[in-house]
Amino acid sequence: MKDTDPVVFVIDDDRMIRDGLQSLIRSVGLKVETFASAQDFLTAKRPDVPACLVLDVRMPGLSGLDLQLKLSEVGIEIPIIFITGHGDIPMSVRAMKEGAHEFLTKPVRGQDLLDAIQKAIARDRALREERQALNEIRARFESLTPREKEVLDLVVAGLLNKQIADQLGMSELTVKTHRAHVMDKTQADSLAHLVRMAEKLKISPQK
Amino acid sequence: MQVTYSLSSKMHPLLRYGLAIALVSIALWLSLALQVPFGNPFWFFFSIAVIASTWFGGRGPGWVAVVLSTLVVLYFFIPPYFAWEVKLRDVPFFLTFVLCQVVVTWLISWRKATEDSLRQAHSELEARVAERTIELRNANEALVDQMAEQKRTEEVLQLTRSELARVVRITTIGELTASIAHEVNQPLAAVVANADACVAWLSRDNPNLVEAKAAAERATQGATRASEVIVRIRSLINKATPEKTRVQINEVIEQTAALAEGQASRNEVSLQLELAPDLPPVLADSIQLQQVILNLLMNGIEATLSVSDRPRLLVIRSQMQGAGQIQVSVKDSGVGVKAEVMGRLFEPFFTTRSKGMGMGLPISRSIIEAHGGRLWAESNGSDGSIFQFTLPSENGPGA
Repeated sequence: MKDTDPVVFVIDDDRMIRDGLQSLIRSVGLKVETFASAQDFLTAKRPDVPACLVLDVRMPGLSGLDLQLKLSEVGIEIPIIFITGHGDIPMSVRAMKEGAHEFLTKPVRGQDLLDAIQKAIARDRALREERQALNEIRARFESLTPREKEVLDLVVAGLLNKQIADQLGMSELTVKTHRAHVMDKTQADSLAHLVRMAEKLKISPQK
Repeated sequence: MQVTYSLSSKMHPLLRYGLAIALVSIALWLSLALQVPFGNPFWFFFSIAVIASTWFGGRGPGWVAVVLSTLVVLYFFIPPYFAWEVKLRDVPFFLTFVLCQVVVTWLISWRKATEDSLRQAHSELEARVAERTIELRNANEALVDQMAEQKRTEEVLQLTRSELARVVRITTIGELTASIAHEVNQPLAAVVANADACVAWLSRDNPNLVEAKAAAERATQGATRASEVIVRIRSLINKATPEKTRVQINEVIEQTAALAEGQASRNEVSLQLELAPDLPPVLADSIQLQQVILNLLMNGIEATLSVSDRPRLLVIRSQMQGAGQIQVSVKDSGVGVKAEVMGRLFEPFFTTRSKGMGMGLPISRSIIEAHGGRLWAESNGSDGSIFQFTLPSENGPGA
């Protein structure tokens, strides 16, 4: 298995269930890490790979829902598949609002769980890729000089070179040079591409 | 004695008087017969006639015999013979004869009367004794009946009490449903997960038998665990007549704590067991002990619910309490029991809970007392309360 192979985290206080789920998930060739409590999971070192969390709602100490809140507080985004003893509607609504990926009732049918895991991992992979792409764009935009950033803002706002030159009190030629640097550093193919990238950064501001 | 008694009292009067006349006649005949060859008057036969008449015939015939023999003697044996006269010189003799007869008759009849009354008193006494004996026998029978009745009543009471205990037990279990459902569902979830895993390992292109076997074994373990939970609950619900066996109190505590564990964790209460090792066994009905402990645990959990500023904790402790007594205590970190409530805790139908029946503690106390122990509560101030009970150990003095 490669370092980027996805991993499934299973948290359940019941050893027999933990072992069963682990075996089930391993049987389809996925990597599994199990934890007996939410605290154990929080303190453990987690690999930086696509992952999902299979979580028992009801556990002594930190419950599944508590862990979900805690993770979102510290900004850890990971799809969570909740397993609950009995379909408690208010509880599931709360969990889904907080962004739970799936809510399954115990005892869970193996195939249902595996399907949910596959979907969750696919989603996490997509999210990770998106995050990575965004980070790359951000890195490129951050390599711009302050002057270039000023020019960029006005270009994206739709101003012509002449208008930019007037506004920034520089020659049109200088504007053109900055603009060329911007296009170059951000690896934008076209003005439209540059605008799209700039929009993405605005929508998801740096965390 | 009995014969003479019956003669004088039961003989017909005619017969008795006849007897007197006959005896006097025989005496006359004998006297006359003997006087002819011997010459002397044989009056003694008249004395015998009088005595026998009085003795056998009673007072009346006695007097008749006296009068008759006086007349006969006067007529036949006092000169002048065959005449109703007495010569002056024979008067003292004749009067002495009469006086003797009278005195003899009087003495005998007095004696007889005394004897009769004594006999009557005796028979009355016997009759009374017989009567009292019958009365006593009746009273005794009534007492035996009453005792049997009381025994039956006690049996019915015992039955009612154990039935009530069972109802309370079922009610308690009713409160535990969610917890029990979890308790059963948990191993079932393990069974399903492991069975699914087993199938998955087998249906791979390259089946992994080792993994499949391990998963199947875990599925079996899960199923066993589920059935153990069911057995435990069924034994609590089943109608079982109390049966005392040698019981390890720590095992009972552990089993009961396992039942209440779900309820506790749902309410974020931690159960802590502090069980003394090597406790001697107690002679007890383990189901009833489970009921008592379960009741104390449920009360304890309930008591901690309003606590939010400190950990919700329930400590169950078992220890030896000197002199062959085992003590079990359940201490909660709840709000404690108010003094005015404390005195009423063990009253039937007294409850502070909206859903409570108020029978848990009274039943628990009667169970413990039926085992020769004691159950009581202590307030721990605002730090909660302690419920504890003692049981005589099997080899202790109280057992």
